[in-house]
Formats: sequence, C-alpha cells, structure tokens
Amino acid sequence: MNNEDIALAAHLLRRAGFGATRDELEAYVSKGYEATVEDLLHPGDPGAMPDDLIRRYHVDQSEMRILDSAGAYWIYRMITTKNPLEEKIALFWHGLFATGYSKLNQARSLLNQIDMFRRLGLGPLPPLLVELSKDPAMIVWLDNIENHNGAINENYGRELLELFSMGIGHYTEEDIKECARAFTGWTLGNAEYMSVRAQKDSIWPYGRIAWHFEYRPQDHDDGEKTFLGRTGRFNGEDIIDIVAVDEATARFISTRLFQFFGADEIDDEGRDAIDSMVGAYFDSGHEIRSVLRTLFLSEYFRSERARFARVKGPVELVAGGIKMAGSYSKPTLGIEKVAKQAFYMGQGLFQPPSVEGWHEGAEWIDSGALVERVNFVAGELANVGSPGVHRIIERLSQLNGGSLTPEELVDGCLDLAGPVPISESARKALLEYAARGGDLDLRDTRPGGEAEQRVGEILRLIASSREYQLA
Amino acid sequence: MVATKVTAQFALDYVKTVGITNNGASGRGFANPYDIAISRDGRIFVLNRCDPSRAEAVRISVCNLEEEHLAEFSNGYGSGDGQFIWPVAMAFDGDERLHITDEYNHRVCVYDSSGEYLFMWGAHGAGDGEIDGPAGIAFDSQNNAYVADQNNGRVQKFTSEGDFIGSFGEPGSDTGRLNLPWGVTVDSDDNVYVADWRNDRIQKFTPDGVFVAAFGGSGDGQFYRPSQVAIDGDGRIYVADWGNERVQVLDSDGKFLTKLRGQATVSAWAEEFLASNPDEKTERDRSNLTPALPPHLSTPYHVSSQTEPYFWGPVAVTLDGHGRLYVLESNRHRFQVYLKR
Repeated sequence: MNNEDIALAAHLLRRAGFGATRDELEAYVSKGYEATVEDLLHPGDPGAMPDDLIRRYHVDQSEMRILDSAGAYWIYRMITTKNPLEEKIALFWHGLFATGYSKLNQARSLLNQIDMFRRLGLGPLPPLLVELSKDPAMIVWLDNIENHNGAINENYGRELLELFSMGIGHYTEEDIKECARAFTGWTLGNAEYMSVRAQKDSIWPYGRIAWHFEYRPQDHDDGEKTFLGRTGRFNGEDIIDIVAVDEATARFISTRLFQFFGADEIDDEGRDAIDSMVGAYFDSGHEIRSVLRTLFLSEYFRSERARFARVKGPVELVAGGIKMAGSYSKPTLGIEKVAKQAFYMGQGLFQPPSVEGWHEGAEWIDSGALVERVNFVAGELANVGSPGVHRIIERLSQLNGGSLTPEELVDGCLDLAGPVPISESARKALLEYAARGGDLDLRDTRPGGEAEQRVGEILRLIASSREYQLA
Repeated sequence: MVATKVTAQFALDYVKTVGITNNGASGRGFANPYDIAISRDGRIFVLNRCDPSRAEAVRISVCNLEEEHLAEFSNGYGSGDGQFIWPVAMAFDGDERLHITDEYNHRVCVYDSSGEYLFMWGAHGAGDGEIDGPAGIAFDSQNNAYVADQNNGRVQKFTSEGDFIGSFGEPGSDTGRLNLPWGVTVDSDDNVYVADWRNDRIQKFTPDGVFVAAFGGSGDGQFYRPSQVAIDGDGRIYVADWGNERVQVLDSDGKFLTKLRGQATVSAWAEEFLASNPDEKTERDRSNLTPALPPHLSTPYHVSSQTEPYFWGPVAVTLDGHGRLYVLESNRHRFQVYLKR
C-alpha cells in the first residue's frame, strides 16, 4: 500500500477523528480518499460501546451525578465509535459553544447537549443554532432562564452574536438588546425549581432531575424589534435566520472550523481555503458538512503544509492515545481518571475556562501540561499488554520474518504509530537507543516478555516526541 | 394508596418510598444501590455499589420499613479481606449469612447479619468452580448457592461454604444459553430463574440446570436488559426490566399480568431534607414532576432522568413474606414498596 496514501489518510483521521490504527488506515486507503471523506461526513451506525454496557458497570455513568462520569462516557464514545467525525464535530461545537458544569450541577443535560451536536453538528447552521438556543444547559449557562418579557438579560443574546455566529464588530449594542428580546420566554421546564437546584451542588432527595426546553408565550416579548437593519415582531428563530445569512457568520464559522480541522495558524493559502469554505457555506444553504468537505478536499488540506500544523488538544491527545493503544475498549475501572487526565492537561470536558472556550494551538503547551501529555501517551503506548500495542508488535513481527535490525525496529514503530515523521536528530537518538539492545527477534515471543518490552520502549519514546504532540 | 394497575385477579398497590441520596458520609441513605435483601426479622439490607470517586460509600446499609436507619457495614473499598470494588448482588443463606458478589474481585464475601465479616470464597477463572464476574446470587432450600457467572455465560452452584457443586449454561443466545446473566433467584420448588440480561429474557431451569422456559422480547411481557427476577409463592414472576425502566409481573406461565413505571413519593428522610432546605421545597411544591417531554428525550431512560417519581435504574426486585414487593433504583438511591392486593 502506498506510503503517501497511508500518510494522507492518517492526516485526515487525526483531524476528522482521533487518529486511526494501521488496520483502520489501510481500510480507509482501500476505500479511497474522497469516498472516505464522504463516509466521515455521513455518519451511520456509530457501533460505539453500547450504553447498556456502560451503564451496567459504571453506575455513575448511568446516573451522571459526577462531572468526571460525563467526561468518561464521552471518551468511551470517542475511542470506540465508527463515526469519528461525529464525535469530533461535537468536540468542535463544545469548544465553540462552551458550556460548563460549574454553573449547572447537571451533567446529564450537558451530555444531552453533546447528543444534539451529534445530531445536528454537520447539518445546516440555522437548526443547530435554534436547538442551541433551546438547549437547557445553554439556557442556564448563559442566563436565558433570567431573560424575561420586560426584563431582559442580554447574556445569551450577546454571546450568540459575538461568540457563536458573527464575531465581534458586526452588530451594535442595540442589536444585542433586540436579540435578547426575541429570546424571551425561551426557558426550561420547571425553570424556577431547576434554577434553585442549579445554584447549589447539594445531595437532593433523589439525585438530579435532567432538563428539557419549554417555551412560555406569556413571557415572550412579542413586540416589534429592529435587528441588523430589519424590522418585525421577531422571535428567536427569526433572529437566527437573519444571522445565518450574514457574511460575517459564514466567515466566522468557516475560520473557526479551519482552525480546528485545518491549521492553528492561517497563512495566505489558508485564507484562500477559508474563502472557499465561505463559498461552500452559501452554496449549500449554510451546511457545515459542505464547508468541511470543501476543506478536506482542498489542495491546502492535502498538502504537506497542513500536516502536523496543529497542536493536538488534550482531549484529542488522550482519546488518540488510548485509541491507538486499544485500552478501555470495554467498560474498565479507571476510565474516570482518563477524563481527568485531559483536565490536568488543560482541557476538562464540560469545564471550559470561560464562555469563550479554550485557547487552542500553542497555548495548549506549557511546561506542566507538556509533562502530563508526554507521560500519559507514553504510558499508553508502552503498555504491551494493550491490544492495540500488541497489534503493532504483531505487525512488526511480520517484517523480515520477525527478525529486525535496530533501524527496522525504529522505522517500523514510527510507521505503525502514525506514520510519525520525526526529525533526523530525533530519529538518530532513537536508533542509538534501539541499537543498545541489538537486533530484535520477535519470533515466538512471550507475551509481555523482553522482546515486546523493547518495542514498547521505542513506542514510549516516539510518544514523547515533539511530532507526536501535533496533529 | 393508589392502584397502579389492575388485572382480573392481580394488582399491586403503591405503599411508600424509602431512601435518600447518600454522598458517602455515614448514615442514612443509599449510594447507587444495586441489591436489596430482607432478613427474617424484617430488616432491609441495601448494597451500595457506588462508584470509585465515592468509594467510602461502598457498603451495606441496614434500615427497616419504618424508615429507621439501623446500621451499615463493610471492610471498605478494595481487594482486601471483605472489601469490595464492584459489588453486584447479595443473598442470605440458610444460616442468615449474607453472601455478596463482587464482579471486579471475582469473589463472594460473607458477612453475618450483624455486619461481622466472616470469610470469602471464589476464584477467578473459567474452570469448574472458578468465576469470571459473579453477578446475581440466590440460595435454594438445600442451602446451596446459584451464582450468575456472567463472563463465562453460565450459572454455577456452590455450597454455602463456596465449594463447587455444578454448573449449567454456556455463552450464546439459543435457549439455555446465557449472555452476561445478571440476577438469579430460586422458587419454592428450587427451580432457578436467571435474568439473561443481554438476551432480553428470563430463563427458567430445573434445580439440575435443565432448561424449562424462556420469557421475554419487547413490549408488554417482554423485556429490555432485565437485571433481576423474583418469584412469589404462586409462581408469579416479577422482573426488574432495567432497560425499560419498569417492573413487569408475569404469571407462572409467562402471561403478562401488570407493569409498574414507578410513583415515588417523598420519603421520611427526604421530608427532613426538604424541611431544612425550604428554598427547594417552595419551588418543588410548585413544580410539575411528571412533565411532558420533547420527542428526542422520549426513551425510557431520558424520561426517567427527568421524571422523579418514575423508576430510574430499577436494578433489583425482591419480595418479603407479607406480600410486599421492593423495587430498588440505583439512579435514585431509594426503593419503592408495593403490596399485592
């Protein structure tokens, strides 16, 4: 199989998913690049770890009373789904529409929001924004529960325009007020009771009560409004229809998608790619799927310049590491700690630092986070008892009849763990390390024995490389 | 009392709810309870499964129907003597010793009914007498234990000291085969009923493990991931239809009799909690606790997650000698009591 095809598929799956094993990459290459992109853009049955299994063994992932359980549940989905882009686009929207547990004390409703991102995240933008505006977690998070007819709370209206669609500078303070008026009456069932419960993390008689949307017409300001130069008795859906057709929205969303799926930094070619994405947004009737298709099929995305042009976010790094290692592929004690690892690296699921979400790119890396990142993935890939690592060993053992020179060992591991194109100096260091053990004989190895451990050590060092931290 | 469902000759009346969330500190209340057993003197033993982040709450709570918290015991969280990591189920033997399974430690811990740790039995594996993920447990009239050996897809029979006697079943979906079995119970003739969890059915076997009948599927009288089963003196089959968030009752031939969705009220412990949290009580009293929900939240799980009176995680059912049915809910930290009319 062509190495460049494998490398391109690996690049695509690092962006549109959480990486892929070599067996998966070979299947994608057999299918062809364009067909793979279409498959990713049209998720079918996720085939992920079934909810019933998760709930049977992890009692709090059934109840969702603890934040870490929600994160753990989502990580199970990320590492076992057959629809990686469905989870990745949900992670993108979670970063953009960042909603946090701290103000809610309600993890089930946060996961319901993620479900909504799965359902609508690749479709047209207007229905997504309408459902976001009806999302109970968002309604509490940005205070629309306090947005009443005659006594508006501007918070959601402001962030809908500034952070979720148009970006700052494309509307006035008066537009914000009118936007907020249009969303009055958009609240949740038993709003007053749920508001009391959200305000303090208490035991409550029988645990949490999850939330659902409720529209209260008597609390909706049905009067005339003027928004972005248009006048009418606008309700929330009308506001979103106006916002969605604005050039600013197309460019804002396309740019954020580019930075999440394309590259951290935007150069001239990147700007051209974003222009094409904006065009696709309008040509398709504001559909995110079409915008992403345009990116993934672009010359820019397929070129060398886009590869490893992003720093892996902590969740990408954690999910990618355990997916490659094949650990946690069935309900496993300790998955909650995995979710916490991403938090220690700076990205706790459902714990955005603010409504602005996380600052991505190079800001993911500081000295403390880097140690956590390296230790986690190195530990995962060095565990030769994990099925994914064992599969790498199995494939290595098929090279040269299972007898490998140090160079073959290093290059084989670099290939199967990515491919990971590390610098020549890093490769030289790896070769020196591998040479200390001499040739490696993987024929008839004892599971977990010395020969397998040597592979694990090389994989550990690869996971520690600068390049492995990049997507 | 409210009549929940009436058929020609059988009905269950709601009696009361007992429980409150316990966050790990000692005392009354439950933490994701997974099984319930009643001693001869009427004390109610509740197994708190909990999760690793609240490991101190993994223990057995003891209360009574009058909602008095009587005791709690365990040797703590872990793999040491008498400790638990993922406890699943428990049953009293003929000497009123409580045998508690642990599907992570692959063993059974035995305590007396005063909470004194006695001994452990079971070894991890797939051979005769070895167990892989023990789940449900029940004792027959000869004081022998049947254990759902879930990952080996079989039921094994042991003495009450843990000595292997025999086994039946193998992994699969054909009749007589088992897929991650969970609850086990024994009727007055020592027939064995198994909640064949991932085959969505209850299977009945003779004491020697010969297949007798299977009940299940979807719809009334049919199940989704049943977790526990109980049999009354007339042979009626009470099923914790966990995946459908309900309880169903069949007659001894498997004919559907009734189903329960739950109608919890505020327990005495919850009343006390609300009395000291008047801000919540005020708004709670004004709320609709059984709201209509949008279509995307219409699965039983989602409905239960936001309908507090309904069962949510009805993981275990048991009967006492007075015609009462106890339904234990892991996600609501309580049990609801019903009485045969």
